[in-house]
Amino acid sequence: MMDRRTIPSFDNWRALVAHRPHANVDAILLQFERIGIAAIHRWPDLGPAGELAGFDVLLFDADMGFDAQFPWEPGAAPMPTIALIGSEAPGRVSWALNRGADAHLLKPIGSAGLYSALVIAHHAHRHRRALLAEIADLKARQAAREIVAEATAVLMLRDAIPAKTAFNQIRRLAMASRQSIEQAAAAIVETADSRRLRR
Amino acid sequence: MTRPRFPIGVLFSRSGPYEAPGRQGFDGAMAAIAAINAGKRHDFDLMPVIADPQGNADRYAILCQEMLRAHRLRHVVGCTTSWSRKEVIPVVEKNDALLWYPCVYEGFEASENVVYVAACANQHLVPLLDFILPRFGRQAALVGSNYIWGWETNRIAREAMLHSGGAVVSERYVPIGDTDIGHLVAEIRQKRPSFVLNNLIGPSSYAFLRAYHALGREDPDFHPDRRPVISCNLYEGEIGSLGAAAAGHFTVSCYFEALPTAANRAFLRDLAAAGTTGPVTAFFAESYAAVMLIADAIAAGGSDAIETVLAAATRSHAATPWGEIAIDPVTHHVALPAHIGRARADGAFDIVELAGQAIAPDPFLTRTALRLGGASARPATAQAGNLRVVS
Repeated sequence: MMDRRTIPSFDNWRALVAHRPHANVDAILLQFERIGIAAIHRWPDLGPAGELAGFDVLLFDADMGFDAQFPWEPGAAPMPTIALIGSEAPGRVSWALNRGADAHLLKPIGSAGLYSALVIAHHAHRHRRALLAEIADLKARQAAREIVAEATAVLMLRDAIPAKTAFNQIRRLAMASRQSIEQAAAAIVETADSRRLRR
Repeated sequence: MTRPRFPIGVLFSRSGPYEAPGRQGFDGAMAAIAAINAGKRHDFDLMPVIADPQGNADRYAILCQEMLRAHRLRHVVGCTTSWSRKEVIPVVEKNDALLWYPCVYEGFEASENVVYVAACANQHLVPLLDFILPRFGRQAALVGSNYIWGWETNRIAREAMLHSGGAVVSERYVPIGDTDIGHLVAEIRQKRPSFVLNNLIGPSSYAFLRAYHALGREDPDFHPDRRPVISCNLYEGEIGSLGAAAAGHFTVSCYFEALPTAANRAFLRDLAAAGTTGPVTAFFAESYAAVMLIADAIAAGGSDAIETVLAAATRSHAATPWGEIAIDPVTHHVALPAHIGRARADGAFDIVELAGQAIAPDPFLTRTALRLGGASARPATAQAGNLRVVS
């Protein structure tokens, strides 16, 4: 079966091409015009950071680009990025990778290639952002496991019950109060701490 | 004094699995070349350089390369399928030549070395669905030949149905040339869609329409008045040989032989005077128009160099059988009207919706609304497409 990934409509998209003035830039801007996306080009200064965030896609030069051009850490671009690669020297390819390119176009730029690069970059970027968010969530959960263990111990001691029963109690509390288990556990530990302080 | 001669490539398959439209493209180009050479409007002759890939996709690039080398020609009119066009593009790009592509296609392309003298999806499928949905319903069955035209046109249809409060109840493909389509009709009978979007080509399409006609006779619920088959590329010559099997179904096109305009009447009169017999389809008319565009541009610019021809052809309007057109300098496509025709048993079309004005080309579908047929439904997913209203 064919993949049913949604193709973005590119409605109202704005694109920034970070490349020195060159025939390749003209070719890219022409492709953008044909596709129907508003695009501008800047070099080497990409403009103020706040304004940069307003672009829906960034094309950057892998040949002459440099880290200081970007107001974000490598790999942390807030929009999909496409590397424009001329020299395939490993150092430059590696730099483009390190910047977190979601797709690439090889120079010289002809009359095709941009549309598929845009679609691929859009999906790669969205996928990566979703994974990063999931990883952050999992890390937070892992960090919170300690609090669950502590809350289980609190209930075991307080009510003289086995670990499994204590844990089920936390789970029921979480469900009843529509919280995560970690949040419910934190509340139990906090209550126990304050009782201890009052004594 | 002899007139200067400019060679022009004519690259169509006159045999193989899509010979009917291929022949129409060939005949249209040759009729236009003959008209130019016989007429006084141009002070030069066009010399056709002919090659026939016989429907074999692998022959197109080789034959195109040969004609470009041997005759140093700059312009090739040809290709019917998208598959063959994709084969030819690298050749014309490398040789600084122009391919004039005279057939409807799915879009998502804009080569600097191609001029697209026929409709892309926003000029055929989109207005066709816009016409059909409010009249027949929003449950679509999609059938297609197993290559890029069928896949992509059906993908766009699927997206349009999604945005238009409709649904796709089935989607099936068969290899190009395959006529074993019983399972397609059986599924359609079971799913009872409001209409069938037919992106089959050649013998597969004919076999399907015959089988669907047989189904309609067995079960009146599948009569074209209830659940029609709709196409973006099924024209006069082909429905002529299908007779009653095609009657009542719908096609969208910038050109029908029945077009009631002065330009079309004059075009058909000239063709008849020149001895053309048989039906004249959009494939014929678009190919004819492509040669006329080339000739007028050579006349205006005084050279067949592609920059000169492109500059002239994008600057001024040229007369075609369906009206005046100009090439969009950005996309190399043309604005086209989308008329809706309903097939008759005698091989002609009744034009049931005569388009008021030409639709600007939007090959990448970034400026076209896909909410069609008066749909008010919100799209079913958060990933909404473009929701602007089609003009």
